[in-house]
Amino acid sequence: MIKAKVWLVRAVLLLWSVQLIWLTWHFAPEAGELVERAAGRRWGAAVRLEDPFYQWLQTLAEVIPPGATYIFVDDYEAGKEIEARYHLTPRKRVLLSPEVPASLLFYEVRQGKATFVIIRDRDKPPGPGVRAALDSPAFQRLDIPGPGLVLRVDYSRVRGEFYD
Amino acid sequence: MIEPAAGLLRLALGLGAIFLVGYGFPAPTLPARERTRLEGVALSFGMGAVFITLWMLALALMGLPFSLPLILTPLLVLSGVILVIKRWLGKGRGRRSPTFIKTENRKPKTENPLWDWLFIALLALVILFAVLRAIFYPMWAWDEIATWGCKARVFFDSRRLDLSCIDAHNYYPNLVPLLLTYLYLCLGQVNDHLVKAVFPLWGTMLLVLLCSLLRRLGLNRTQALGTAAFFALNGTVFIVHLQLAYADLALAYFALGAAGLVYLWLKDQAPRGSLAVAAVFAAGMAWCKYEGPPLAGTVLLAAALSLVWLRPPGLGGRLLKLAIPASGLVAGYLPWKIYLIKHQIESGSDHVLNFYPGQFFKSLLFLPEGLFNPFHFGVLWPAAILALALCGRRLYNSPVIFLALFLAGNLVAIVLGYALAPTSAAEFPFYVRATLDRLLLHLTPVAALMIGEGLKEVN
Repeated sequence: MIKAKVWLVRAVLLLWSVQLIWLTWHFAPEAGELVERAAGRRWGAAVRLEDPFYQWLQTLAEVIPPGATYIFVDDYEAGKEIEARYHLTPRKRVLLSPEVPASLLFYEVRQGKATFVIIRDRDKPPGPGVRAALDSPAFQRLDIPGPGLVLRVDYSRVRGEFYD
Repeated sequence: MIEPAAGLLRLALGLGAIFLVGYGFPAPTLPARERTRLEGVALSFGMGAVFITLWMLALALMGLPFSLPLILTPLLVLSGVILVIKRWLGKGRGRRSPTFIKTENRKPKTENPLWDWLFIALLALVILFAVLRAIFYPMWAWDEIATWGCKARVFFDSRRLDLSCIDAHNYYPNLVPLLLTYLYLCLGQVNDHLVKAVFPLWGTMLLVLLCSLLRRLGLNRTQALGTAAFFALNGTVFIVHLQLAYADLALAYFALGAAGLVYLWLKDQAPRGSLAVAAVFAAGMAWCKYEGPPLAGTVLLAAALSLVWLRPPGLGGRLLKLAIPASGLVAGYLPWKIYLIKHQIESGSDHVLNFYPGQFFKSLLFLPEGLFNPFHFGVLWPAAILALALCGRRLYNSPVIFLALFLAGNLVAIVLGYALAPTSAAEFPFYVRATLDRLLLHLTPVAALMIGEGLKEVN
């Protein structure tokens, strides 16, 4: 019985050894990248600067005042709105889908006293809400290069007291 | 060059203060003579984290802003006073309890020092990789920037528990965000790559704690180190969580401490005062993650059921003593609950809705996939099941039943949890895949204790 137990333990250890080899193979690219970054002194804040979306957010942070509220138009699943929220805090943000109807967009702008609307993907065909905003004189398109569109909005000129 | 060095020094001092706060408080309950030096270090980190962050919550409840003097001065003074009084009172008297001598010194330390060094080298390699991976990259993973790291950043900027710009999961407990906030205060700025050094450190403390618990269970040093290496280097989940600002590693650490100390107590192998330390760890479980209170509840439930099943002498008294860790659970849960009620924050509606039988049956299929997929935990869970089988009769006539009940009970709880989750049928598989490995991570250190018990059978 003891012999059988010992063989079972040996079998597990053998499987573990194989698994260790696989684990080394799995993490090898990451380890290689670490060595490269260490050699090139490209770590910490430098890693973030390699991301164009982050650079765009930094530009937005210079434009949007810290006490302002902005509407972020994007799909939650893309994961970009959480990045925007993280880097633009303490600015308050409201997330709306790209397919948002004009009534809801205008209502959120009015109720949240939002002064900026950020559309994350400028290449995507605009939904009804964004189209209405682009046509409205209350919204002013800002010339900020980057992956998305930025609109400045005067919420006092927007009608949106009620949304059903 | 000077700035990064200054940052590292500030971080080291901040982390050192966590150990100091945690080192003083257990002195009256778990005296130094009852624990090894490494064990003391591993326990004091978790206790320091609990005390500092609960104190920060108390400051928030009192409406006081977060600042280093306000956070550290009372805790360090209190910790120092406790240590001085303890040393003064305990001078010249007191002996190690018989359990300490039995468990620590009975076994020869090692079988073969070469194996010891090999296991230590493997563990050191993992930690080194995790430290570099953590501090080279800023926070990037979903829950880091959506929840834990985002909260820490907001709390630091506002110097208070400001939940106004976070619209989801406001009810989540805040041990991890507040600990990060405290470290930002030490650093003097938001530095979201350097601060992540705390997570590999936390993982190291988990491994030290695991080793020391295994030693107390009767394994020699080689076996304890081997089991710890087997745990750390099995699949990717533990290694990945060493680098992430998530609360799951912290919960796994607290779960190991609470369950491990209660298990030693059930076996009459616990040093004096272990239940009080287990209480602080139960508080840590309740205060670090939404899943913590039920997990801590299962430690207590499994212990109570084991006692009732085994009927040891003085059953009533022993059952009553479980009130000590239970009080820790309440102490870790209640302050945040009071804060939520005071600020009218709704809790849990995005996690629990109705019982969906379809999800229940689907998660029954997902669970084995999570347990046995080598990508997640390698061969750890099959080895734990094998260890359970190797224990044979000991499984139902000794406290080993506690480990089995805790693990099996939590696996059932995971399936039931998924049956209550409010997700659409299309989203459900993604929801499970995004969460199951983390839920299992909370239990894996205890599964490693089970493996240690199985190893004893082969001895």
